[in-house]
Amino acid sequence: MNLSSLLDSFEQLSPMLAAGLATTLQVTIISLVVAMFLGVLVCLMHISKVRVLRGIAKFFIWIIRGTPMLVQAFYIYFALPQLIQLLSGSQFRIDVFVASLITLSLNAGAYISEIFRGSIESVDKGQMEASRSLGVSYSSSMRHIILPQAVRICLPSLVNQCIITLKDSTILYAIGLAEVMYQAKIYVGRTMESFATYTWVAVCFLLITSVLMLVSRTIEKRMRA
Amino acid sequence: MAEAKIKVTGLTKDFGDTKVLKGIDIEIDAGEVVCVIGPSGSGKSTFLRCLNRLEEVTSGEILIDGESITSKDADVDRIRRHVGMVFQQFNLFPHYSVRRNIMFAPVDQKLKTPEQAEAKAVELLNRVGLGEKVDAKPSELSGGQQQRVAIARALAMEPDIMLFDEPTSALDPEMVREVLDVMKELAHEGMTMVVVTHEMGFARDVADRLVFVDDGQILEAGDPHEVMSHPADERTKAFFSKVL
Repeated sequence: MNLSSLLDSFEQLSPMLAAGLATTLQVTIISLVVAMFLGVLVCLMHISKVRVLRGIAKFFIWIIRGTPMLVQAFYIYFALPQLIQLLSGSQFRIDVFVASLITLSLNAGAYISEIFRGSIESVDKGQMEASRSLGVSYSSSMRHIILPQAVRICLPSLVNQCIITLKDSTILYAIGLAEVMYQAKIYVGRTMESFATYTWVAVCFLLITSVLMLVSRTIEKRMRA
Repeated sequence: MAEAKIKVTGLTKDFGDTKVLKGIDIEIDAGEVVCVIGPSGSGKSTFLRCLNRLEEVTSGEILIDGESITSKDADVDRIRRHVGMVFQQFNLFPHYSVRRNIMFAPVDQKLKTPEQAEAKAVELLNRVGLGEKVDAKPSELSGGQQQRVAIARALAMEPDIMLFDEPTSALDPEMVREVLDVMKELAHEGMTMVVVTHEMGFARDVADRLVFVDDGQILEAGDPHEVMSHPADERTKAFFSKVL
């Protein structure tokens, strides 16, 4: 094994890497977008004055934080369809891409809601009081005064969550999503080239996460300025 | 006789097991300037914050222009529109320019068009002596300047009552004067003002009435000169011997 053979194998690997990465990025990006909305919703429920909403948000976060993502993926892909089948009496199957999206969205959504909540709570209490004292409603104060400041505070952690979600998406190979790890496993099964294959998989992830880390660092620097 | 501008009856406030306010009764007339003084922890800031319901009262009633702000179905936002408040820590919105800080509330509540609100903002800034700072960010201003912007921001709602919560306590000594001057002018223009303060000079010269609060109760109230020179209560005497 030398460097040139490593480079050679890249050429053979690249179609499968590209296909896997495309799926990985697709599922990650769509999930993150869904998770942002879910995160805002859960966060607003969590800080709401309505007890029931708070309860639902806490329960959701408790489930997601307290169980491994692999279990969540199996639950959504295998367990829930069976439950629905038993209840409805008719065949039910869920597409593996959809199941992956749901798993990753719920997972990232829970963590993002906690990031949002932390940021909102770190905005000085006096900001809400000042806005409310001017007769501005709670929702308007939230939208115009608190959230814009919270978003600035949470950006670095949010980019960090993007990195985590991207990496976590590899777990979905276990339910058969044709992402990078899944493709790599198949390739290794055919060629036995574990070293080259997994080296390139790791390099691909490092490249993407490095870019994100750079983004995060730039934002942090800008914020301090 | 005209009805009191602010009427407080039997106001109490508990934080958990701590009784912060133990029954406050006071009537404040239109155009009156009332200074509330007392040792720290006496409940004077809590009292002020109850007046626009930033603090929920435990019991008692507060009427603003005869309208209850403490009742369950009170339209708090509508009442707050004409009760301005200035905070110890200024609480300017850091992501907005000075101009938008002042324009925000009237425009958000559709009381003014952005053009009208902007004209008003410039007028108010000139009035507090900061006409050249419209485009500045709060972080670029000194404490005294920030507090004057905060006053302008409250005035943009065209309130007829202004509440001041230790407006000069967070300021460097050399900036206290510029803020007090603006407040003095407001007082002379007939604004109804309730001022929680440690500035005894301001209280003596500007207030129509001085209210001494300790341990959640009003111990003494009356003409500032009278209260300061002849305090009746022992605790008032002790307080003045420390601050005067």
